[in-house]
Parts: sequence; structure tokens; C-alpha cells
Amino acid sequence: MTDVAEPVVQTNGLTKCFGELTALDGLTISVGRGQILGFIGPNGAGKTTAINILVGVMRPTSGWARIAGADCVRNSRQIKRLVGYMPDTFGSYSNMRVREYLDFFGAAFGIPRSARNRRIAEVLDTTGSTYMQDRFVETLSHGMKQRIGVARTLLHDPQVLILDEPANGLDPQARIEMRELLLRLAGMGKALIVTSHILPELARICNVIAIITQGKLRAFGTLDEIMRDLRQQRTFEVQLADPARVADAAGVVRKTLEEAERPSVVERAREGLVQFETHQPDAGVAAMLARLIDAKILVAQFREVTKDLEDAFLSVTRANA
Amino acid sequence: MTVILQRELSGILRTPRAVAAICVSAALFALLVLARWPTSALVDLSGAQSRLVFRVFAYGLLGGVLLLVPAFPAVSVVRERIQGTLLLLLNSPLKPGEIYLGKVLGVVGFAVLLLATSLPAATACYAMGGVDLLRDIGSLYLVLGLVMLECVLVGLYVSCHAQTPDSSVRVTYAAVFALVFATLGPNYLMQGKDGYLARGASLLRGLSPVPTVMEIVGDAGVGAQGLLEKRKGPEGFAFGAILVSALLAAGTLAQLNHRMFDRSRAQGKVTDDRGLAVRTARRMVFLVDPQRRKPGIPFYMNPVMVKEFRTRRFGRFHWLLRLIAACAVISLLMTLAATTGTVDWGVETMGGLMVLLQVVLVVLITPSLAAPLVSSEIESGGWSLLQTTSIAGWRIVTGKLASVLWTMLLVLMATVPGYLIMIWIEPSMWLQIYVVQICLLLTVVYTLSVSSAVGCWMSRTAAATVVTYVVLMAIFLGPLLIWLGRDAPFGRPVVEAALMINPLGAALSVIGMPGFAQYELLPASWWIAGVVSVCCLLGFVVRVRRLLKPL
Repeated sequence: MTDVAEPVVQTNGLTKCFGELTALDGLTISVGRGQILGFIGPNGAGKTTAINILVGVMRPTSGWARIAGADCVRNSRQIKRLVGYMPDTFGSYSNMRVREYLDFFGAAFGIPRSARNRRIAEVLDTTGSTYMQDRFVETLSHGMKQRIGVARTLLHDPQVLILDEPANGLDPQARIEMRELLLRLAGMGKALIVTSHILPELARICNVIAIITQGKLRAFGTLDEIMRDLRQQRTFEVQLADPARVADAAGVVRKTLEEAERPSVVERAREGLVQFETHQPDAGVAAMLARLIDAKILVAQFREVTKDLEDAFLSVTRANA
Repeated sequence: MTVILQRELSGILRTPRAVAAICVSAALFALLVLARWPTSALVDLSGAQSRLVFRVFAYGLLGGVLLLVPAFPAVSVVRERIQGTLLLLLNSPLKPGEIYLGKVLGVVGFAVLLLATSLPAATACYAMGGVDLLRDIGSLYLVLGLVMLECVLVGLYVSCHAQTPDSSVRVTYAAVFALVFATLGPNYLMQGKDGYLARGASLLRGLSPVPTVMEIVGDAGVGAQGLLEKRKGPEGFAFGAILVSALLAAGTLAQLNHRMFDRSRAQGKVTDDRGLAVRTARRMVFLVDPQRRKPGIPFYMNPVMVKEFRTRRFGRFHWLLRLIAACAVISLLMTLAATTGTVDWGVETMGGLMVLLQVVLVVLITPSLAAPLVSSEIESGGWSLLQTTSIAGWRIVTGKLASVLWTMLLVLMATVPGYLIMIWIEPSMWLQIYVVQICLLLTVVYTLSVSSAVGCWMSRTAAATVVTYVVLMAIFLGPLLIWLGRDAPFGRPVVEAALMINPLGAALSVIGMPGFAQYELLPASWWIAGVVSVCCLLGFVVRVRRLLKPL
């Protein structure tokens, strides 16, 4: 688990049941100031339930959640001032211009008019949206709406931003801009919780990752920590010079692995490739290569397959399927 | 085409409101037969009893068709366009004509089912004697069939042009009621006169099914004032209805193609950024320009109320000013006409017409503003954002209700000049007018509270608007239906009791409108309106609190 010096968001044993269904099962996480937590999970995993509890629109069945020390259930009014929430649906009002839209939410947060005007200009500038302030909200493109959504969450200067799928449906340029925006916000000292299905995007910006499936937290920590855990199970590929000897090579690998663990070997005869997974350290793997060479098998390449967040996610979700 | 027909019909029949509509109409007609079926062993040789039942039955059926049918075609095209399925249909080998015909037949099929629920009651009327099968029942069903077709075609025409389902429902109901009731107005004003205008007014009257239905049940024409008209039969109306239907069908088919999607997005240029000439012209035309750059919401204003005003298409300030100006001009003209003796109506009739004008406006506008107060917020996703703001629940409630209340109060205020002139002409009427104003104010509060309470329990704007319209129309037109059967088959106590639940009845009674003056409706009517309003407002508050409460 990651060490967070100054946790802003903390949950402990957070559980939510809907009748027989346990949507969230003992979630314990913490996010610090300036950190970006990537909240990952398949559809229906319990991410939105956890977010709804954090923003104070849902009560947990058991456990607790705190934001900057305020309890999400007992201090729900305080929580609303501490959190800026952008749901996956934009929540637009027809016939309203961007400035009027922000003005309304600013007024709903009780920001005085003079301060509100200044703040609207600031958040429009931060999100690079000043040029669209007179546009009607419903006529904006998806990317523009996402930016206005972020601008809205920033209006009352919250300590924590919770963004549900901010990069969903964005074109590559808009995605890059969104990524830069989120990093800028984290640089301003805000704690961010971001959900997304675009895992490479999350890997680029998140310091902390939480993987959740079937309501349970399966992995939590920095990306390096999660990858380190995952790396205990390493995947190697042996590219043969002669594809006809795939079966021989697979036999050698299997025999070597059987000495220490249950072998997991895949043969790809057409590509002349043998793929295997092992927990053995580098010395064990080197011995494997030596045995292949001893068996007079011509090895063109012997490589470790690099794992990324997607592999980590798949590995965790498959293990718990 | 059969694919569309099947999907439309099964789609409608699967909705809870369709099932509710069929069940309610079947129950009402069964009740009517049970209530009026003779209990004594005496034979009614004149058939008077049967004709009285037939009269209420015919008006009830017409009211039912007008209330229930337009809602279904009104959302048919616009919802498909928003969901994206219309584009898929247009890209399929189906021709627009086939899509259109499938939709028409789908809704007509449902409407026929609805009409079929009335057949036992029609059979009962016939069995009681005194009602002719072809001349009375046949003619009635022919007229109702044509009205049904018109309602469907109006709904589809509006649905093709509308931007949102709720605006489509609103405009469809307004158009249907204009076709059925507003077409009677010019003829009413020009009775007994000659000339092109009078002839035009008479032709326009022929478009409404009301005179034909009145003729079938044996009533005199609307506001006939003793002038006898020769019986015309349903042919005249049938010709007009077919002509209107053909025009509507042609108009809809011209619109039902890919051009529906060929609309550019507004660039949002504000008036402040335009040239001096445009700025000046817009200031003159709009008075309160909707495209101006607005200042921030001041601290003393409820932000929810301001948001409600700003997000409306209809009911924004420039529209209100136009409406108020129109009301003021009409009320002044009517009062002037009464005083200068150009028409032989008394001040009471004039006052009655002004009351009717205001109540019609209130009943038509209030549901369209109040019913979607919560449902539109849920549908657009705005509610989940409001939940995460620190705004208190009571401010949401008051802001939303105030946005409608202010609008309707302004509409009421618009006719004050007309009433002032009436007091100037007839000073003894001040007390009546004072009481009428209270009745109208209560009508506004009543419609607002009922609309908001009914609409807030639905999560779709179109459904909220339709159900609210149906409920309000039932409250306001139902007692008038009973009033039409005053003396027989309904006695004075029944009519009086029915009018008490309708604030319009009290207002018309106080102003001394002929036909209403004899009923004693106050203060019972005020008490009923007050209690119902308070209960409905409580229901609205409870719903908002439930929605804001963490799950």
C-alpha cells in the first residue's frame, strides 16, 4: 500500500448493499493532496457507488468516508464545498450560455456576485474555455462540454475533484489537453479521483491506482507498486529461428518449469514463438535459455514481455473472475 | 410499413399511461351506464332519459379523445429523432411515406382501442331507446373518428418540427384546442351578421367538431343566443376535417426526411457584440432582449428561479411581455366594445369572457411551466449536479415555484386595465371584480400546485407534461361537462358540487356569467382550492426532499 503524507480523502471498510446485492465491499483507500487516483474497474464494479458516497448523495451501509476530515454522511453540506464532482453525464440546461451556466452554479454555491465573475473568468482561463463563454451549452461539442464540466467543478475552489470518465469520447487532441489540465490541477495541490476506461491515459497521469471488481478492492497503490506485484508473475517469449522446432522448445521449457512450478506455456507454431509465464528470478530464466541452447534449438530472440496498466487490470480482473 | 405499425402499436400499448388511459376510460363509461341505467320498471316511451345519457356520453367521449389521443403522436417523431432511431429508419429501405403511414396507423390503432371501450356504453344508450343507431350513434363515431385522425396528424406534424418532446406535447395540445375551441370564437362574435367576415367565421366554425357533436346530441349551437340554425349534419365537418388532415399530412411528409437533421448549431452571438443598428433594433423589438449578455445573479435573487427563467424557451421575459401586451389589448378592446354599444353584451358577459380568456391562458401555460420543474432536471442530468451543490432544498422548492408563480401573476395583471374600465362603467361591480381577482389568483395557485405535484413524480418531461395536462383538463373541463348536463340528467346539487372543484366555476359565478350566476360556490370553492393546493404543495416538497436525501 502507498504511503500518503497528508491524506485528503480517506475511506475505511466502506460497504454499500442494495438488498441482497453488495455493490461495494469494504473499500479502504486514501488519496493525498496533489495526488491523482485512477479508479479502475469494469462496468458495474462499484466505482460510481463509491463516488456517490464520497460526494454525499449516498449513505454507506457500513464503514466511513472522510474528506479533509469531514465525514461524508454527517457533514454532507461541508462535503459539498470540499468536493467538485463531474458525473459522466454532463447535466446541461437548454437555452443557457456557458457563462450563465457557470454563474448559476456559482450562485448555487453561494459565491458573491463580484467574486463569482472573477472566479468564472479564472476557471474559464484554467480550462482554456474563455472563447466559448457566449456559446449555448447544448450546442457545444463533447470535448467542449467536458472542459466546461471541469470548469464547473472548479468554481467553488474545492480541495478534491472527482471526475467520472473525463476523457470519454474525446478526440486525441482533446484527450491530451484534458490530461494536461488534470496534471495542472494536481499541481495546484488538489486531490483528484478520476475514473476512466482508457487505461493508458490513466497510467500517464495517476500517481495512485485502485482496481475494483465486484465491489471489492483488488489492488491499490502507486503504479510502480502494482506493477511490482504483477511482475512476480513474468511473461517471456522465445522467438525461434526455425518454426518447425516450436514443439521441442515448448517441451524443454515445460520440463524446466515443472521442476519449480506449474507450467503455463503457449505454443504459436505459425509464428515460431513459445510464450511462458514464470515466477523464477533472472538466474532461473538464464538457466532456461542455456537449456534451450544445449538442446540445439536456435533462439533468435529471448525477451520479457513488458506489462502495462492494461495487463495489470486484466490480470487482476481475471484472477478474481 | 407493417414493421413500423407493429412497433408503434406495441410500443404504445406497453407504456403504463396507455394502459391507464384504456382502464380509466373503460371504468368511466361503465360507471356512466351504471349511474344512468333505469332502476324503475316504468318505460320511458319518449326516450328522453336515454338522450340525456347519450348527451353526457357524447361530450365525455369527445373530451376523452381530445385529452388522451394527442399525447401519443406528439412525442412519436421528436423522441425518435433525439434517440437517433429516426436517422436509422430514414437510412433503411423504408420510404418516408411508409414510416409516416406506419406511425399514423399505430396511433390510430391505439385510439380505436380507446374508442372501443365506449362501445358498451353506446350499446346501453341504444338499448334504452330514443337514440337512432345510424343518425345518432353512427354519426357520433364518424365525427369522433375524424377528430381522432386530426389529433394524430396534428401531433405528428408538430412532432416533426419540435426540438424537444415536452415542447411538442405543449404545442400539440395548444393546436388541438385551438382547432376545436378557438375556431368557434369568431362565429360567436359575428352571429346574425352578413358579409365575408361572417361567412369566413362560419366556415372556420365548421372546422370544430363541437357544433356537430352538439347537433347530434340535440343541443343548440355554442352561444347560439336564441338564433336558430338549420341542421347541417356531419358532412360539413367531415369535409373540413379531411381537408385539414390532408394539409397536415402533406406538411409532415415534406418535413420527414434527412433535412430534419440539417440544422446548424447556434454560434451564440450576443447582442452586445453586434453593430449599433442591430442593437437598437433588437432593443426596440424585444424590450428585454433574450440575446443580451446577462449580469450575474444578484444575492437577493433565488438562483434556481433565475435559472428556470433563463432555460425556458417559452415563458422568458420577452415572451411574457408580448403575452401581457396581447392580454391587455384584448381585455381593453372587449371592454371598449361593451361600453360603446357595438355589441349588445352586458358587462357581465364581457367580464365572463375575460375570465375565460385568463383561465384558458392559466390552464394552458401553467402545466407546461410547472409540470417539468423536477422531471426536466432529472432528465437533463442537472439534478445530480444540483445535489452536489450546497444550495438548500427549500431554496430549490421556492425558486422553482416562484419562477412559475411570477409568470402567471404577470399574465393576471395584464387584464387589470380591462377590469378597471369595467369598474369605471359600472362602479357597483367593484366587489364582484375584487372577488373574481381572488378566484383567479386561487386558480393560478391551484393549477401551479397541482401541476408541480403531479409532474414531479415522473422522470420524463414529456410524460410529466402529458399527465399534468390530462389531470388539469379533467379538473377544469370535467365539471363543465357536468354543467352542460345541468337540470338534466344532473340536478342542481350535482352541478354545484362539480363546479366547486373548478375555480373557474366560482369566478364565472361571481362575475354573473349567464348559466353560472345561479350557483352558490363561495366560499366552499375557495376552501377546496386552498386545501387541494396545500396538499399538492406538500407533495411537491416531499418529493424534492426525497430526491435530495442521500440514498
